[in-house]
Amino acid sequence: MNNAGNRRIYLSLGLLSASLIAFQLALMQLISAVQWNHFAYMVISIALLGFGASGTLLALTRKWFERHADFALCLVMLLTGVSMSGIILFSSALFGKFDTYLIFVDFSNTKYLFLSYLSFFIPFFFGALAIGLIYIQYVNRIGTMYFADLLGSGLGGIFLLGLLWLLYPAQLPAAVAVLPIVAGILIIPKSWVRRLIIPSLLLLFLPVYLIIFPSELPVSEFKSLSRVLNMPGSEVYMEMKSPYGHIQVIECPSLRYAPGLSLSFTEDIPVGDVLYINGNWFGPLADRTENDKSHFLDYTTHNLAYVISEPGSVLILDGGTGLHAGHALWSGASKVTFVEENKKVLDLLKNELAFKIDSLFSDPKLTSISLHSRSFLLADASHYDLIVLPPIESFGGSSGVNALEEQYILTLDAMNDIWDHLSDKGMIEVTSWMDYPVRNPLKILATLVETLEQKGYMEVDQHLIAIRSWGTISFVLKKTPFTPDEVSSVRDFCELMYFDPVLLPGIISSERSVFNHLEDSSFFSSVDQIVSSERNSFYKNYDFNIKPATDSKPYFSQYLKLDRLSKLHNLFGQGAVPFLEIGYFITLLTFVQISLIAFILIILPLFFTKWKGKGKVYTLFHFSGIGIGFMFVEIIFIQQFILYFGNPVIAASAVLSGMLISSGVGSLVSSRLKNSNRNITAILFLVILFILFYTFILTPALRVSTNLPFFLKILFSTLLISPLAFFMGMPFPIGLKYLDGHNNTLIPWAWGINGCFSVISTVLATIIAVEAGFFWVMLLASLAYGFALMANIFKR
Amino acid sequence: MVSEQIARRGIKHVQTLDAMRKVERHLFVTPGNIRMAYADSPLSIGYGQTISQPYIVAYMTQIIEPKPAYKILEIGTGSGYQAAVLAEIVDKVYTIEIVPELGETATDRLQKLGYDNVEVIKADGYYGLEERAPFDAIVVTAASEHIPPSLIQQLKEGGKMIIPVGSPFLVQTLMLVEKKKGKISTSSLMPVRFVPFTRSQE
Repeated sequence: MNNAGNRRIYLSLGLLSASLIAFQLALMQLISAVQWNHFAYMVISIALLGFGASGTLLALTRKWFERHADFALCLVMLLTGVSMSGIILFSSALFGKFDTYLIFVDFSNTKYLFLSYLSFFIPFFFGALAIGLIYIQYVNRIGTMYFADLLGSGLGGIFLLGLLWLLYPAQLPAAVAVLPIVAGILIIPKSWVRRLIIPSLLLLFLPVYLIIFPSELPVSEFKSLSRVLNMPGSEVYMEMKSPYGHIQVIECPSLRYAPGLSLSFTEDIPVGDVLYINGNWFGPLADRTENDKSHFLDYTTHNLAYVISEPGSVLILDGGTGLHAGHALWSGASKVTFVEENKKVLDLLKNELAFKIDSLFSDPKLTSISLHSRSFLLADASHYDLIVLPPIESFGGSSGVNALEEQYILTLDAMNDIWDHLSDKGMIEVTSWMDYPVRNPLKILATLVETLEQKGYMEVDQHLIAIRSWGTISFVLKKTPFTPDEVSSVRDFCELMYFDPVLLPGIISSERSVFNHLEDSSFFSSVDQIVSSERNSFYKNYDFNIKPATDSKPYFSQYLKLDRLSKLHNLFGQGAVPFLEIGYFITLLTFVQISLIAFILIILPLFFTKWKGKGKVYTLFHFSGIGIGFMFVEIIFIQQFILYFGNPVIAASAVLSGMLISSGVGSLVSSRLKNSNRNITAILFLVILFILFYTFILTPALRVSTNLPFFLKILFSTLLISPLAFFMGMPFPIGLKYLDGHNNTLIPWAWGINGCFSVISTVLATIIAVEAGFFWVMLLASLAYGFALMANIFKR
Repeated sequence: MVSEQIARRGIKHVQTLDAMRKVERHLFVTPGNIRMAYADSPLSIGYGQTISQPYIVAYMTQIIEPKPAYKILEIGTGSGYQAAVLAEIVDKVYTIEIVPELGETATDRLQKLGYDNVEVIKADGYYGLEERAPFDAIVVTAASEHIPPSLIQQLKEGGKMIIPVGSPFLVQTLMLVEKKKGKISTSSLMPVRFVPFTRSQE
């Protein structure tokens, strides 16, 4: 191939890699919007196994592909583009019957689930096949090829971020699909140009057509958005695209929002519009002056803090659409600070949607800040009389669908930060929906109690009040002990509202269940044990994990204890556990599934091939070790940077782009290094040292720099990520080059193993983070690189 | 269906069991789901709505202890199945459906099956049915985050209201609301998913 041809292959590879990353991110958004978030997680994991499967196919059919390499490469790239652009059309037309909401009810759905997997698997399979083919063909230039691959991947994330401003979710796959088609056109073999150029150019019309006329998204009819739109008179009032999500405002003449309302409330709840993001409920747009006699939140347990005292300054964290800020102003607060990380939503509430919320954000007493609540707490120095946390759980419980969401505002570390912002008589208020078996109220209570003790307050029962309605429970933690007058006000409020006190200084047990009876009254003894010194043994004995979350394990809604699975099974009946803790259960299921599929699709077939020579053990350990290690580090970086940047999209983009580009540069540099055993062991040793170093310094480093301006944060994070990622980019091309020199029949296998273990380890990293915390994931990442190091030391 | 899925799981109210035997569930499901009509699960009826699992229908019916002279209000007609079961026991059932298409289908279906004592109203159930109030019992099949004040007001003294809370496909907690001497009390009943999550003695 001449120089121009060389440039084209690099460009083509870069475009293809960019498209695969962008396509993966687009699918995550798209599938979350039409089905469950966890379904997206399952589908993408399975789809990414396409990387592994492509390695298998290449290993089995290597000779054919080598004979037809140029043509096959071009064709496979074109097929990647076609399968990407038609993904919505294809999956909804052929397999549209699948609905995650029905999966546990109608088992015939399972076959559609597998067909859905297949439809999402195909583009990744073709894409990875093309990359694998390039690696085999150009293994002598693997360093620069891998650089093009990683650079393209890094830029792909940024490319998608840009697209999110311009296009709706349904247009994204088609827009991304343009890249691999162009990549394919760039490398049409000379002998085929005449025959292929026109049909290939015509192929571009497909994505262009689907961008202009996007296919309709097959949104599940059971999603809250679909149900609201089914109500008579409902319509989409406003729609907006942004990296903060696909925002929709729905006008529905029969939607009234008053969660956990007291049964003594006799007035009408006004109709309000609702804001949805990516098809998921975000918050109501409540007109605070609709009824000037009362605010409906006065009739909920959430009003507890305002019954106890009249806070002058109030801080609302994760404020959503401003409902609680409006209530604070209504309750007489002289200064309200409102924090919400979704900048686009805040802009809309201040401008286009201001008239729907009675210009709440124009109130001079209200200051709004667009930041993650934790980032705000670290940057802010003020003190508040009341700090309101976002409500926990949703009505009726979510059966653990949020189990894997990092909830940095509900950790013990967060509560310590919040405490430091309380005025002398300051209070923290948090409301949770009651669930059964009880989990959320117990975990937040445990968090509040441990916070008090960490701050040196041992008589916790003098500082905590909790009241319960038919559906909600609200807690107020106060820095100073409650006075008899305050306690008496709470009792009067409960009587008036048909609420029951759960925790109150001087409470008697008969008070706890006057209006709202629980069939299982063990809830009260659980509460008492958490407040008492028996707390630690209660944590141990309780069937669910209700120990407070920490910044290292920020999964507040993860309650499943793996060692109690069989006990829960006996207690709650056959098949009950997945329904109680579905989020984590699906993750475990995904892990089992992809491990099995990986084995069947990738590992097993290769045992039937007749590859020659040595190096199988080396290939297995080197390429699986670096695959696992890389992904463990990447996942932990993303999770830690979510807290740092206060925005998951920015965090993921910064980490992915930073890591991939730096690794790409590392790969480029590695191509100039002598492929000696000394070099590779030194590089792997450096990677291990770096990971161990980061295990200890990452969290403190991020914390001390969290108040820097945004651009300095980007700079700092790049400086932090780059050195490690630079070295992490080297072992893969060096390993392939080694195989090329010793036993090149193993190259496709290496590609398959690396892809396969990369996917498995993304899920595994999450499971380890949930079970043991970030610290252990990082340690295990270094151990994985340790295996690769051993493989190199002992290779023959 | 009745002996396996309902009686065996502790439903003892004779009238409820009789009504569940009489009402043929396959007449209330969509054509595509007929073969699943007697399955132990909820089924989709379109518009994001479901026909409840037979056990839930029986449980909700038993808990309000319907008597022949009762006047019952149902919020969320859906397929009309719950209304038909109630209509087998009580004198009059008023049922309100907000999705017009579902309301139409249920009206036709119930008329064809001869349920003269069921009146389907296509409206927003939030306001209940003041002109026919008070009701001996109210069955809410489409729960929301709050219990509409008008429904509490339209409940007779000593009356009962039953509401399932949660997703029909995952876990639902049934909640009983009672009005006694002007005061309202609630009881959270055991959560159910196909079968009740009865926490056996440890």
